[in-house]
Amino acid sequence: MTKYLIYAGCLFLLIWSCRRNGDVRPGTQPYTLELPSNFPAPVYDMSWNPLTVQGVALGRRLFYDPRLSRDSTISCGFCHQQFAAFAHFDHPLSHGIDNRTGLRSVPGLFNLIWQKDFMWDGGVNHLEVQPLTPITDPNEMGEDLARLISRLNADQKYRGLFRDAFGEGEINSQKLFKALAQFMATMNSFNSKYDSVMRHAPGVQFTAEEAGGYATFQAKCASCHKEPLFTDGSFRNNGLPYNPYLHDAGRMRITNSTGDYLKFKVPSLRNVIKSPPYMHDGRFYDLFDVFLHYSENIEQTPTIDPLVKNRIPLSNQEQRELYLFLNTLTDPGFINSKSLSEVLITD
Amino acid sequence: MKPYYLLPVLFLLCTACKKDKQEQGNIQVTFKNVVNGVPLVLNTAPYTNANGETFTVTTFKYYISNISLIKMDNSELRVPDSYFLVDENTAASKTITFNAPVGEYRAVAFKIGVDSIRNVSGAQTGALDPVNGMFWSWNSGYIMAKMEGTSPASTAPGQTLTFHIGGFKGNFNAVQDVNLVSPISLTVGLERRPQLTITADLYTWFTGVNLVKFSENSAIHVPGELAWKISTNYRYMFRITDVTDL
Ligand code: HEC
Ligand code: HEC
Repeated sequence: MTKYLIYAGCLFLLIWSCRRNGDVRPGTQPYTLELPSNFPAPVYDMSWNPLTVQGVALGRRLFYDPRLSRDSTISCGFCHQQFAAFAHFDHPLSHGIDNRTGLRSVPGLFNLIWQKDFMWDGGVNHLEVQPLTPITDPNEMGEDLARLISRLNADQKYRGLFRDAFGEGEINSQKLFKALAQFMATMNSFNSKYDSVMRHAPGVQFTAEEAGGYATFQAKCASCHKEPLFTDGSFRNNGLPYNPYLHDAGRMRITNSTGDYLKFKVPSLRNVIKSPPYMHDGRFYDLFDVFLHYSENIEQTPTIDPLVKNRIPLSNQEQRELYLFLNTLTDPGFINSKSLSEVLITD
Repeated sequence: MKPYYLLPVLFLLCTACKKDKQEQGNIQVTFKNVVNGVPLVLNTAPYTNANGETFTVTTFKYYISNISLIKMDNSELRVPDSYFLVDENTAASKTITFNAPVGEYRAVAFKIGVDSIRNVSGAQTGALDPVNGMFWSWNSGYIMAKMEGTSPASTAPGQTLTFHIGGFKGNFNAVQDVNLVSPISLTVGLERRPQLTITADLYTWFTGVNLVKFSENSAIHVPGELAWKISTNYRYMFRITDVTDL
């Protein structure tokens, strides 16, 4: 008996002495994140930024606060709209302060905790440092980080909210980024019809056409748009004709390697019906144009992906069925979630 | 058989994880920035590079991190969490103090720049806070060292010089290791704090293995081969020029 006690004691000591200092701060309530059973383990290590009710709420407020931009006109939520799965509906290229236009389309935001690289070219390597780009980019929010931090510190309301979430002390960029990351970590989409079918939810089945579309999808699209996230996270050239106005070299901009010329991150296709236009430059407004691209308009360049090189023939019926299948990836609970919706900021 | 032998192992594990309780003193290092031996004065003073091109300096900053102390038996002792940004424009940043266990040391080692782990670990604070302007947002990673100025030889608009040196991946990892042997051994005691002066010579950036001509290269702001070449030059910029050990 004593022997077991000693073992237990040692084990306790071991765990105690090796514990990380990332426990939830006293005075905050832990936020329990619901995770789907059919997904892999998240990439984002939340033990370094434990989600709390206060932290998530603060992140949400920051996400919807236009005062994060230089002239207080543009919030994250301005470009990332919930009804479009947090893409910018109907905007091929992003639209920032002073009516400036960016170089790329706004991707939807969801399941970010499973993502390793961010941006179409994967230039950003961590969810927490992601907001730095839009905040400081002159084409987006155009604000100086140091100025923003001092503005936040001068704001009575924010001082209180940051204290509640992260404890005493000055507001710094780390707290700002961690709060935004906490909110973004809750933007998860895994309750589409597709998911119900995969989890054998009682009474939910694909229609015959959806099932046909799923079969086509698995045969022709799923090696890149890999289930269950509908992306394998890799960078590939899917044969889009080069856009001479934007001169976007894609992944090569980050790696300097000519082998990465015109490669872009494979986007998830969850909620895709809700987030037109499509591709890194928003060139297609309609999914049927996307199908047409894969089946007929592949441009041959040295870095073209072998999987699309010989085009992906799609009959009219296959296209229709694919469309209906992609429609099952829409997650109405996510798009209408009250806990992610815009908060009106009056103070 | 009863695994009693596990007990000491468990005990060892516990103690291994336990925080170090050794008595701590500290060491102070003052950085003196020079150009070819002449004290650096920002904005006004003209200097000449190894290629004979004149220039002035408006910004000079670099990260010192991962400091270790080399004991007399040549074993290495890491100073945990040591990240400093030395900025010519901020007098206070040029003197750094870090904890060191009581003992005698023969050399100090550090990295110029920020190790790859901190480049991929999300939001950081202190010296590593991106408000310091030493972080590339579009291509995540720290600028390890930064020199800006002007030169009549520069072909950039406004004849500017912009050398933002970074990159922590692959062949062009610009994080450089420096090891400086002290002219006399450094004895850290509870009441005894060795003070070192380390001189950093900006001249080395543009000479050495890779001669840099401002007429050909006046701007670097991406990671890659050019940045890495400059880092292989500047890894020789430091010398210990004074030690007070009382
Ligand atoms: C002006 C419009 C605009 C604003 C404002 C904006 N974004 Fe974005 N966001 C974009 C665009 C465009 C991209 C893709 C950029 C690229 O790939 O180069 C993007 C990408 C992202 C991504 C990466 C998604 C992925 O799948 O890789 C995240 C996360 C993100 N934004 C979060 C935010 C947050 C947080 C804010 C507020 C601090 C914000 N955005 C403000 C336009 C905007
Ligand atoms: C070789 C890998 C690959 C294959 C196979 C592939 N895709 Fe893609 N897909 C990509 C890449 C890469 C992009 C982003 C390209 C860009 O924007 O430059 C993309 C983008 C898309 C988009 C735009 C999404 C958005 O949010 O902008 C849709 C829709 C799409 N693919 C559907 C399909 C369908 C349907 C198939 C099967 C017929 C398919 N893809 C096969 C790699 C692939």
